[in-house]
Amino acid sequence: MAEVRFSHVTKKFNENMILNGVSAEIKDHEFVVIVGPSGCGKTTLLRMLAGLEEITAGEIYIDNVLVNNMHPSKRQIAMVFQDYALYPHMTVEENMSFALRLMKLKSGAISARVHEAAAILQLTKLLKRMPKQLSGGQRQRVAIGRAIVRHPKVFLFDEPLSNLDAKLREEMRVEIAKLYQRLNATIIYVTHDQVEAMTLAGRIVIMNHGIIQQVGTPIEVYRKPANLFVAGFIGSPTMNFLYGRLQAEGEKLFFKNDSLTLYLPPFLLADAARNAGREAALGIRPDDVVIGPGVREDCSEKIEGILEVSELLGHRENLYIKAGENRILAAVEAFFNQSPGSKVSVGFNYRNMHVFDKKTQKRINNS
Amino acid sequence: MDILYSIYEVAWFVLIVAAGIAALEGYFYYHFKLYGKKWFMAVSAVFFPLAAVLLCRYLGLVEGGGLGRVWAWFFIAQVLINLFFKHIVKGRFSLPYMLLAPAFTGLALLLVYPFVFQIYLSFHDLKLTTIMAWKNTGRLPFAGIQQYINVFTTSPLSEITFWTLLLRTLLWTFTNVFFHVAGGFALALLLNNEIRFKGFYRTLLVIPWAMPQVVAVLAMRGEFHSQYGFINIMLGKLAAAFPALAALGFGPVQWLSDHPLATCTLINIWLGIPFMMVVILGGLQSISSSYYDAADIDGASYFQKLRYITLPLIRPVLMPAVTLGTVWTFNNINVIYLVTGQSGGTEQADILVSALYKAAFTYNRYSYSAAFAIVIFAMLFFISVFYYAPTFGRGNLGIRGSLRGKVISPSSPARG
Ligand SMILES: Nc1ncnc2c1ncn2[C@@H]1O[C@H](COP(=O)(O)OP(=O)(O)OP(=O)(O)O)[C@@H](O)[C@H]1O
Ligand SMILES: [Mg+2]
Repeated sequence: MAEVRFSHVTKKFNENMILNGVSAEIKDHEFVVIVGPSGCGKTTLLRMLAGLEEITAGEIYIDNVLVNNMHPSKRQIAMVFQDYALYPHMTVEENMSFALRLMKLKSGAISARVHEAAAILQLTKLLKRMPKQLSGGQRQRVAIGRAIVRHPKVFLFDEPLSNLDAKLREEMRVEIAKLYQRLNATIIYVTHDQVEAMTLAGRIVIMNHGIIQQVGTPIEVYRKPANLFVAGFIGSPTMNFLYGRLQAEGEKLFFKNDSLTLYLPPFLLADAARNAGREAALGIRPDDVVIGPGVREDCSEKIEGILEVSELLGHRENLYIKAGENRILAAVEAFFNQSPGSKVSVGFNYRNMHVFDKKTQKRINNS
Repeated sequence: MDILYSIYEVAWFVLIVAAGIAALEGYFYYHFKLYGKKWFMAVSAVFFPLAAVLLCRYLGLVEGGGLGRVWAWFFIAQVLINLFFKHIVKGRFSLPYMLLAPAFTGLALLLVYPFVFQIYLSFHDLKLTTIMAWKNTGRLPFAGIQQYINVFTTSPLSEITFWTLLLRTLLWTFTNVFFHVAGGFALALLLNNEIRFKGFYRTLLVIPWAMPQVVAVLAMRGEFHSQYGFINIMLGKLAAAFPALAALGFGPVQWLSDHPLATCTLINIWLGIPFMMVVILGGLQSISSSYYDAADIDGASYFQKLRYITLPLIRPVLMPAVTLGTVWTFNNINVIYLVTGQSGGTEQADILVSALYKAAFTYNRYSYSAAFAIVIFAMLFFISVFYYAPTFGRGNLGIRGSLRGKVISPSSPARG
């Protein structure tokens, strides 16, 4: 029932360009997560959509209606704030019903909606409490309750879980996923936690420096990051990058730097002649680093490295390896029985290798 | 040389105060330390009353005949103090008590003693005709509660009755505090916006409050002068410019002689607004802007935000300020005295305290005034305790208006 469209949206605070021509479309019933590092303009974008911040240039449409100058309450959106912003002098019930009372709804209808929302969020027993008598997670649920009683077209969540501890955050993440299935509404969810983004999103919008870097499903942005920033931002542990130059020898394409030479097969990067000479960055996720002498299909030839540190995480183990000037992180099955300082041979899985142009930062391989 | 003498006097005074504090601390110190010793009890019961009597004698506080009686009082007091230290204090909390002692003694001398003396006066009859007898014999005719009856039945001044004064005082207090809060609130709301030269405006607006009150009031009083005052000049000009207004009786007003109370009220409102403004502005600035964002999304209009967000949230700072303002205004003699006092002493602008002042120092009815003051004190006390005190810590229950209680939960239909 609600689509949102950003069209070349720009925001300046005084002379500081915060958002630089953001264009995106969010479809009906879609759960879109906006991620990006702190200060990249996520909250600002959300506040502009909510009508709390002026739009310097560009247009925002909700259901094809231009809302640039529409009052926040007329946009039929509901927002859950980063700090919840529960009215401290009202009980949970009053907080949740405030908007409805301002709409002059009948008290029966108000009560029905509040109790319905309270039942969904397990707040029924807390309705008479004051916000300061609630735990962080309960407050968070009240903030969500305040949003859902209004039956809005679009829900906006601004880092709703950032004030919770890790355990509670996991629980609430599942709650929000359930809530989405139940409400089946359009949700725009801001976070800088990429785990939240990957698990919740139907589509992810990755932002940096006020520019959208990539839009896509979690799998897309994970498998095919469009540029170096996205590649480094999405995925945990972070992707390995090797910097060097592409060189052609006959029909074969090689990646070279001071201490390493890697053959790049054509299914990874075709058209050797055209790519030769480029400054490039190779991206390999730690999971795609193959350790040990055995030969595997689609795997690069082995290079020699030295194990510097190993971290045991339980079922996985992180190995920090140094190969010449290159530092490589490998995530392998526990237990890797070698002590720091020992030699290991390292290979890379060609199927999940990413090649980026260092100058433009863009991805240049298509596979 | 005069200067040297002054310095010598001040130094002497400081020395006496220091010696007093030292004596006091020493007194406490030994009581804390030696409270268990029998010999100390005996010595202190003999020594301290004797020293006190000698001191009183030296200072000329008691005449020869009264010495025995005074000694008996001090002796009893000392025995009680000894028992207190032995059975209740038992040497605990010595440091806190010793640190508090000087301040507490100072307060006792400056507050408790006058208050007790005032109560004593209010049950006796001290006035011009009895004051000489009191000086000579130290005795005053006992009056029982007659003075209190007089407070309610006779006039403290020449014509106005107590009840008229009370009504006028309540009106005066209400009008002033109302406009202080309303004006302060309006200005604070303006200053809380993003405007240029905010600091400059704030400074300008605080000036009436920062100036010595005498200067501020006398300056304003000049502006109410019937001929040369700014206000009447403006009124005259307006009347001249718009004859229609003049025909309706609009024109210069004899402020000080015809409407002294209105003049005082206007001046006092002007004086009191800055305080409320500063307090309310502080409250406004402490409200997180995200509540307003949330209210915007919830669809609250400007006035609804004011009513349901701003007011309840500044209540915790507003209520103490209103209580203080009420007490100050109720007790405000400065403005009334400075505005009317010199112009032939009109009674048209007197409120309870200014009438009290006149009763005591113009009509010299000391005991009557003492009773009068206690009545005023009692009234303020009850106003503060019963009206304001319950609302202090109650920021939570702020909303009592139409929005509250509309939600009736099905589980508890009888909810009030
Ligand atoms: N009112 C303002 N005036 C000036 N600059 C602002 C204002 N609000 C935000 N900014 C700037 O805009 C940039 C983006 O801020 P924003 O709050 O949107 O970041 P964010 O992506 O939500 O970050 P976080 O993840 O830390 O919440 C920041 O550099 C911030 O300094
Ligand atoms: Mg933010």
